[in-house]
Amino acid sequence: MSKISFHDQMTKNRRQSILLSFFVFLILLALVYVIAEIFAPGYSLIVVGFASIFIGIYILMTYRYGDQILLTATNAKPATGNEYVFLRNTVEGLSLAAGIPSPEIYVIESDELNAFATGRDPENASVTVTTGLLKNLKRDEIEGVIGHELSHIRNYDIRFATLVAVMVGLVAILSHMLLRSFRWGVRGRRRSKSRGRDGGGLFLALGFVLAIFAPIIVRIVQFAVSRRREYLADASSVELTRYPEGLASALEKIMQTNKGKMNVSEAVSHLFFVDPNKSALDAVYATHPPIEQRIRILRSM
Amino acid sequence: MKKDLWWLILPVGLILIVVAIVIYYINRIRVLSNIVDNAWSQIDVQLKRRFDLVPNLVETVKGYMEHEREAIELVTKARERMMGVTTTKERIEAEGALTQALKTIFALAENYPQLKASENFRLLQEQLEGIENKIAYARQFYNDSVLRFNNMITTIPGSFFAGGRAPREYFEIPEGERAPPRVTFK
Repeated sequence: MSKISFHDQMTKNRRQSILLSFFVFLILLALVYVIAEIFAPGYSLIVVGFASIFIGIYILMTYRYGDQILLTATNAKPATGNEYVFLRNTVEGLSLAAGIPSPEIYVIESDELNAFATGRDPENASVTVTTGLLKNLKRDEIEGVIGHELSHIRNYDIRFATLVAVMVGLVAILSHMLLRSFRWGVRGRRRSKSRGRDGGGLFLALGFVLAIFAPIIVRIVQFAVSRRREYLADASSVELTRYPEGLASALEKIMQTNKGKMNVSEAVSHLFFVDPNKSALDAVYATHPPIEQRIRILRSM
Repeated sequence: MKKDLWWLILPVGLILIVVAIVIYYINRIRVLSNIVDNAWSQIDVQLKRRFDLVPNLVETVKGYMEHEREAIELVTKARERMMGVTTTKERIEAEGALTQALKTIFALAENYPQLKASENFRLLQEQLEGIENKIAYARQFYNDSVLRFNNMITTIPGSFFAGGRAPREYFEIPEGERAPPRVTFK
């Protein structure tokens, strides 16, 4: 029965991915349009046309190579070598249980306890863990964490997460550009007014509102969706390992050990097993549900 | 004129919907059946890998565990037995025997610190334990797949499209394997 609901979950995830992409794409276009109206009035449609082509290519490229970029940015190295035999065996074994091809396996040198999965679909996916996680957790705890990450792969969460990371980043960049430019933008407006153009003020106000609210709206969508998926991945992990206590005690240890200084960009923090930045542990803005809550649910299984 | 058209569109639309549903279920049953077959072959892959690793283990262990000829013999025999099997039932039993024999070897290895210190042995043990786990996981996925397939063809509406397909069999652990391994220390 649970398998059938997972199938539904995948369809739902796919639909949500498309909806979110479309929604954020519209926000991006609105941002570009406002920027164009402020800085190049009269050419705004041409600017929007070129910008939408550029944004389209950008999204496609980052979607295609996003995982590689992320792996490089976090300094992840392939887990070859004899010290990682157990890790490789665990990933391969749990992939068998999940019925997906075994993903590529990477390791990050860090004392923090964390992990993430990335990629587009189960055929193009990778799992990364920190060396701290391998050192400090027992085997059944590591299995719980790996099971959680593999569930993200099986449920197509990784595709959604990669897309979100790309778009959140893009909206952030554009909003930042807009807000920064307001300092000398005011002068620009005066000049355009002296040329007798109306509506500059309206677009300026609109731009201001968009620049402030667009990143917030996109982030709220990101938070809401990713938190729900964490619970689901916890449940799926237990379905694979058939041992809730492994994951629960892993979470407990992580909560006690992690200091929250992995230096990971906010745009990709939702990809990780637990939030890599402690500043974001605050309830509203957290990409992950509170760890205590996750442990409680696991212990009641 | 328009009314006449509706008389045409309605039945054609209905037929199309019915055809779509039929195609969906027939394909779904095929897909689930293929998944079960694939899951079975995944178990085979792991069993084959274990089979190939056993001679390495025997070679490594021989030098250190001279007093455990019997236990080593048991492993070699179990492996040989697997080459002669024909039926699935025989095979499952032979696999079970090999699992037991390997467990005994690893339990006995605890008494040989030199062996345990050997890098080669540690790697082999890690490998074989990993494979043992993978076999268990592959079986779990196989049973999950069988459950999904059986649910599909025994419940309405899937049962209408089953076309006489019989429910698939679960992978049951043979009787002997359920008991913990017996280890005797001399």
